[in-house]
Amino acid sequence: MAITSIKNLKEFSTNNDRFEGAHLLCPGCAHSMIVRELMNCTDDNLVISTNTGCLEVSTAVYPYTSWDTSWIHIGFENAATAISGAEAMYKARKRKGTLKDPDAPVKFVAFGGDGSTYDIGFQWLSGAMERGHDFTYICLDNENYANTGGQRSSSTPIGATTTTAQAGSHSYGKKEKKKDIVSIMAAHGAPYVAQLAPNKWKSMAQGFQKALGTEGPCFINTVSACTTEWRFDPKDTIHITDLATDSLMFPIYEIIDGHELNILYRPKNVIPVEEYLAAQGRYKHLFKPEHKHVIESIQKEIDQKWEMLQRREEARI
Amino acid sequence: MAEKYEIKETEVWDGNYAISQALRQAQVDVVAAYPITPSTPIVENYGNYVANGYIDGEFVMVESEHAAMSGCVGAAAAGGRVATATSSQGFALMVEVLYQASGMRLPIVLTVANRALASPLNVRGDHSDMYLGRDSGWIQLDAFNAEEAYDMTLCAFRIGEHLNVRLPVMVHQDGFLTSHTAQNIHPLSDEEAYRFVGDYKCVDEMLDFTRPVTYGAQTEEDWHFEHKAKQHKALMDSRAIIDEVFAEYGKLTGRTYNRVENYLMEDAEVAIVALGSSVETCRLAAEELRAEGIKAGVVAPRCFRPFPFDAIREALKDVKAIACLDRSSPGGAMGALFNEVSAALYSTQARPMVTNFIYGLGGRDFAVKEAKRIFMEQKAHVDAGHITTSIQQFSGLRGPKLGFFETKRS
Amino acid sequence: MQDQDLCAAQNRGVRELGAEKLVGWDEVQQGVVINSFDGDATGIVHQKAEERVYSDFNSYTATVASWRVQKPVFNIDVCIDCQNCWVWCPDSSIISRDKQMLGIDYDHCKGCGVCVEVCPTNPKSLLMFTEHTELDAALSGWPEKTKKEEK
Repeated sequence: MAITSIKNLKEFSTNNDRFEGAHLLCPGCAHSMIVRELMNCTDDNLVISTNTGCLEVSTAVYPYTSWDTSWIHIGFENAATAISGAEAMYKARKRKGTLKDPDAPVKFVAFGGDGSTYDIGFQWLSGAMERGHDFTYICLDNENYANTGGQRSSSTPIGATTTTAQAGSHSYGKKEKKKDIVSIMAAHGAPYVAQLAPNKWKSMAQGFQKALGTEGPCFINTVSACTTEWRFDPKDTIHITDLATDSLMFPIYEIIDGHELNILYRPKNVIPVEEYLAAQGRYKHLFKPEHKHVIESIQKEIDQKWEMLQRREEARI
Repeated sequence: MAEKYEIKETEVWDGNYAISQALRQAQVDVVAAYPITPSTPIVENYGNYVANGYIDGEFVMVESEHAAMSGCVGAAAAGGRVATATSSQGFALMVEVLYQASGMRLPIVLTVANRALASPLNVRGDHSDMYLGRDSGWIQLDAFNAEEAYDMTLCAFRIGEHLNVRLPVMVHQDGFLTSHTAQNIHPLSDEEAYRFVGDYKCVDEMLDFTRPVTYGAQTEEDWHFEHKAKQHKALMDSRAIIDEVFAEYGKLTGRTYNRVENYLMEDAEVAIVALGSSVETCRLAAEELRAEGIKAGVVAPRCFRPFPFDAIREALKDVKAIACLDRSSPGGAMGALFNEVSAALYSTQARPMVTNFIYGLGGRDFAVKEAKRIFMEQKAHVDAGHITTSIQQFSGLRGPKLGFFETKRS
Repeated sequence: MQDQDLCAAQNRGVRELGAEKLVGWDEVQQGVVINSFDGDATGIVHQKAEERVYSDFNSYTATVASWRVQKPVFNIDVCIDCQNCWVWCPDSSIISRDKQMLGIDYDHCKGCGVCVEVCPTNPKSLLMFTEHTELDAALSGWPEKTKKEEK
């Protein structure tokens, strides 16, 4: 794979974007930060599929495309399968000698939001991971169905309010915990699985390059702060993401071959999750006295998870 | 390079086996599939060819029919020959992606062993799945027996991949009745078959890196209509290409097909319009009635989509009474074949009498005797000068007679 | 003052969204398939925007400038070329060439303000101003370096 230099940001910035402006994502949306970075990580040709979601409805509204590489969207659930088909066709045509340029390097990438990844496209993703296609699936995890106005997904954390799991006089918002998609994908025995965040641009770029450079199905969950549904000022996207990673609400780690876990970012000063929650409108109600216990339980979960990740890392198994 | 598969001039194959051989001969690049009764053997046979080196392409066994068609769409957009098979519930699960395939103008071949749709669950053949696909923008070819299933599959690639068509094509055969009934088949040699189908011609392929393409853009009210109209025009215009391909195939094999197959129709007074394996049943009935002096004939759309409005009208314009047989529960309407045939005939001078029979649901047997009875009922309408029964009736149903609507014509 | 067409290919941001010419069914693309570029796009990864031949269907040719209420203004005198703004711009609107920050693509910038927030210099090299502020007016009133305790 022709990887681009990510030694430092100056070096990285010499890459020429293949994701164009005048897409329709909200101002300050983290989706495009993540997509741009992925596309800037390699000089190889890319074939990209995208599930229905914010990214899809904002980047290919006729008569425009924001994609400088080949791209396909079929439905809400099947980007992993669309890319499976394209990858299979590449193999078949390479074997038969019908490719226009058989030596042109190419990588296959699928994008999905958490709605399509954790929920409606879960089976399609699992199938593609199990079949072992050579592709990288990137989940842009903004923890809700933002494209349709902010409904709960199985990625929405406990306590967040969404339009279908609302906080109210009888409710503190979503009652259920966020699904652990990273563990599920690692359990598929995938050669490379990671959780990354755009504020840590270098570890994200390194993770992307590892995934693209690894043969077989790789999965990366990226935290994508959503200005509209998390309710924060668009300028604060990176600040909010800093709070997410530094509170360990979103730990940054990778799992190689389904078992070898490496923590990729250790905050120097771990901040209480309260700071992360307080910065977003979707958690505002948790600061009422009657919901204080929810914040406490979120903190407890985070501490336990961090402990688990560190022990897994130490165990080297 | 794939291993050489030995085939004889005459083989005894069932419809499924015949189709899987046609897929092998067409050198399909990617088959993405999920098994479902009664189409499963198509996929299994193909798996056998893969295991024994008769296939150069990729065989992707996915986790659902929705994924099967999704994989086909991704593969087809990447520029190559793509095919799959399904039935019934699997077809229903695919429906979302069927519309995507045709909207993107990807010439995928889907072979369907027709089967009823639950509930109640039923694995036998009727046309519920075929009818479910009728607005999906696909060309739908109908095989009435196993050899035709083979022939239609080869023709499907030629038609769909034609640069003036570029549309996906379904090849329908009746579940079990055709899919599992072995008959003598006269296949082409591998070389002849491939020469007929030809190399795949790439259009807008995602793997041409000199020209990146975006598939699956969103079009709202200012663009959607134009794109759908263009797609419909291509489907309507495919009629001429279908005729062309059928004629060429006829020259090659001596088996000439038409978008509408007419049998004993030259001077017919009464006719049955039917699809699938029942066509042969009706033909036998017509032959027997001819011997008794009844001028009976059979009209069978070989091509269900694009609907052969033109050829149907031509075939039936001089007939006096027509029974349209629909092997699908019509869900609160007249059967689709009845509606479409009636619409075609409404623009003729004669406007013959047309009635509708719902029959054979869930694989209920349909025999020559019943076909003859239906013909005779048409004869009775002719003799009386009006429709003497309900316009919609059920054939082969137990219990009190079920029928709907009386004629208002004098 | 920044050149409004800084490093722009000739068709950058030339159309307002929704103002495209509406053509009939006979002129739309088969299968709604859109080309990103006109001509051979081999090697575009090695080409800067101004060297590429974008097709009319590439969103590069559209503008979202009307989305902005506030705009970022870039002060080259303070910039250290760290490229934070480049890596985190969600709209591919930071124009960097050869490791140097040159300015802003005002056709594609939506005015989110992320670039200003992530700018580490003191004073910041990017600040938000209301859309109608003249660039030279913005630059002439640029704040002084602030002392740490005042922050």
